Amino acid sequence: MNTTAATTTDWNALDNASFRATVREFFEKHFPGEWRYPQRRLRWSEIGPWYLKLSEKGWVAPSWPTQYGGMGLSPEKLIIFIEEQERWGVARAPDMGITMVGPLLINHGNEAQRAYYLPKIIAGEHIWCQGYSEPNSGSDLASLRTEAVVDGDDFIVNGQKTWTTLAQDATHIFLLVRTDKSAKKQEGISFLLADMTTPGITVRPIRNIAGSEDFCEVFLENVRVPRTSIVGELNKGWTIAKALLGFERIFLGSPKQSQYALARVREAGQRLGLFEDTGFVDRYTKLALDVADLGALYGRFIEQVKRGETLGPDVSMLKLFATETYSRLADLLVDVMGSSGGTPGSTALPGGKTDALTTFYNARPATIYGGSNEVQRNILAASVLKLPS
Amino acid sequence: MTTTHDSERAEQLTLLRESALSFAAKASPLHRARALRQQTPGFDRQFWAALAEQGWTGLLVSEKMGGYEQGFAEMAEVVAALATQVAPEPVVPVLVFAGRLLAHAVPSDLATRLLTEMAEGRTLPAVAWQEDITGAKDRTDQAATRLERQADALLLNGSKRHVRPGAGADGYIVSATGPGGLALVWVPADTADLTVTSQPLADGSYAAQLDFNNVRLPASHLLAEGPNAVAALTRAYDETLVSTSVELLALVRGMLSMTQDYLRTRVQFGKPIGTFQSLQHRAVDLLLQQELTASIVTQALALLDSPDSDASARSAMASRVKSRASDAGLQVAREAVQLHGAIGVTDEYDLGLYLQRALVLAAWLGNGSQQRRRYADLTQNATEQEHA
Ligand SMILES: Cc1cc2nc3c(=O)[nH]c(=O)nc-3n(C[C@H](O)[C@H](O)[C@H](O)COP(=O)(O)OP(=O)(O)OC[C@H]3O[C@@H](n4cnc5c(N)ncnc54)[C@H](O)[C@@H]3O)c2cc1C
Repeated sequence: MNTTAATTTDWNALDNASFRATVREFFEKHFPGEWRYPQRRLRWSEIGPWYLKLSEKGWVAPSWPTQYGGMGLSPEKLIIFIEEQERWGVARAPDMGITMVGPLLINHGNEAQRAYYLPKIIAGEHIWCQGYSEPNSGSDLASLRTEAVVDGDDFIVNGQKTWTTLAQDATHIFLLVRTDKSAKKQEGISFLLADMTTPGITVRPIRNIAGSEDFCEVFLENVRVPRTSIVGELNKGWTIAKALLGFERIFLGSPKQSQYALARVREAGQRLGLFEDTGFVDRYTKLALDVADLGALYGRFIEQVKRGETLGPDVSMLKLFATETYSRLADLLVDVMGSSGGTPGSTALPGGKTDALTTFYNARPATIYGGSNEVQRNILAASVLKLPS
Repeated sequence: MTTTHDSERAEQLTLLRESALSFAAKASPLHRARALRQQTPGFDRQFWAALAEQGWTGLLVSEKMGGYEQGFAEMAEVVAALATQVAPEPVVPVLVFAGRLLAHAVPSDLATRLLTEMAEGRTLPAVAWQEDITGAKDRTDQAATRLERQADALLLNGSKRHVRPGAGADGYIVSATGPGGLALVWVPADTADLTVTSQPLADGSYAAQLDFNNVRLPASHLLAEGPNAVAALTRAYDETLVSTSVELLALVRGMLSMTQDYLRTRVQFGKPIGTFQSLQHRAVDLLLQQELTASIVTQALALLDSPDSDASARSAMASRVKSRASDAGLQVAREAVQLHGAIGVTDEYDLGLYLQRALVLAAWLGNGSQQRRRYADLTQNATEQEHA
């Protein structure tokens, strides 16, 4: 069978160039062209087939150890894999199971949990969403109030999660819940896994300003979750959730999104003859250099990862500069569209279409999720500059 | 003497502001604006009739034509009150842009009739002058659309873009180049061989593209021609830039006020997020943009209302204020979203109504950069003349 063949390949034994070539060839040949560089999160109905194709190839979990069905890539090879994905504009499938639940169970779960969940994630049978944020707990996540109370062999969960990306497509949700109200806020939190079909779970999609339903509210009303679904120890969920912030954080600061936006600005500039215009050329070049220098900053952190070093709090700089450069590019794109700058969707320019507002809309959440840029600045001020609080 | 007059006017303006704000808040709650999005024509003709009943459709129109002959400062109170509620009615495009253009085209009989009907709220004229996809190449003294005269008829060929309202207009004042130079022609919406393509805008309203394919019109539909036409279009355009800035300012105020409330009430880490100094400073920066815009808007309105303002000063001022207001509108929109966090990017939260309208108005008739270019052109010429 295909899968067995794939999982037995020792990818790390390949030299980097051949590994890159292998990955590139597969993406170029098999990734559906219509979903390259999507400008919104794709739904399972759209990108599910790709997930299944990767699964069949044995490539759906590049970072997991081979014993669990992953590719077992070293950090260096994993970076190549991700670089090739980005290079070809391969869309993200709902990958919370791969990037979060898998590593979590591998490091903190028990044998039974690994045996049950991991193969189903690999197979694309379980699609996960992340139930952390609540209406009153965003940046201050540790204040969360969704509560789980022990009742016989179950927890009974009550509360509400929100901004849950693609919950409407998920079969499972991983939750941070409060299990001890008397403890200090970080110390009374546990990590639970729940099946979305459990009675008492209701999902309401939320439309965003771009008009798509990328995230949802998840209501939990007397939801019975078996006690066996807790990951790690009772009241130790916060530590586990924190530990999940591995080196993948670096990808929030990838220059890819900005490079893509810069290409759109360049294209629009050419179509409109703006490279004759020194005012535009100055603004464009300033941003082009920002994007290039972001690449240099990113490269520094990538080297660190390749050397197997752990990333420090200074990696927050990447997210700041990446998302804010992207936002400035979106502004320039809207700006060059002039009187068409308030028109959503594609506008036909001489030589091709440009969609400025989608970039503008995408730039808004980028500075909010994954730890808002204000929170990242707080981290840098405190942990890198060591300023007093 | 002047001071008594000024203080009387100020008092009247305050009264008008109060009544316009209370009317708008009552008759146009935000959910009305929300419900009309993407529902052609994108606004409510009955609401328009209510505006007419208030006398506001005739505010700028001369008394001879059934109007109230008020100034731009008065109009601004009504415009701002409606913009505060993100009301979708095309008040500025119709009453200021088309209305003023018609007023400048008087003594044309047709202009007089249209203006009278507009003041009564019966006719909604729109201006169709832009042709370029980004507007960068559009100028108020030129048009690629061609006008030919044939015996007793006019023949139009060409295309127009960025026409607001993009649906629901009763006719269009179209700029075209003819034998007598730039011409302004009235084209009723139901004219044969005119194609109107409505394009949805970010705020759920519409802009139109008009295509004229040998459109025939009676000779009486020529509203103005030559230097008069250029002067009329330029003046109405400038007056519209200022009035659009009034709308943008109202949106800025709305967004900053929502953000202020949110900073006061949203609690994270055990305190209102407005206690975080980094956010306080950001809010103050928005206040600064709001007040810069407000100051320049006030000056611009006074200039429009002064009987002896000259055309080039008006144009420079109009571009200057639209540049500030467009950029402030976008900056405040972006920052307001950021300061709200995730709720700010949702469609159901009302901030989005303001943001989408700000996107539309910042772009309409030329965004910040485009207005700065025009300003530079206008003022450089002026300096050259001074030095000559
Ligand atoms: C598109 C998108 C997808 C998301 N997907 C998920 C998901 O799948 N699962 C999930 O659990 N969550 C998800 N989130 C939620 C995300 O994690 C939160 O939006 C984020 O933590 C910020 O919280 P908040 O939105 O409540 O904003 P708040 O925390 O209320 O912040 C409001 C404003 O205050 C600022 N602020 C807050 N605290 C401070 C401080 N101490 N100092 C200075 N400024 C401060 C913020 O930066 C922001 O500007 C998603 C969010 C978005 C936008």
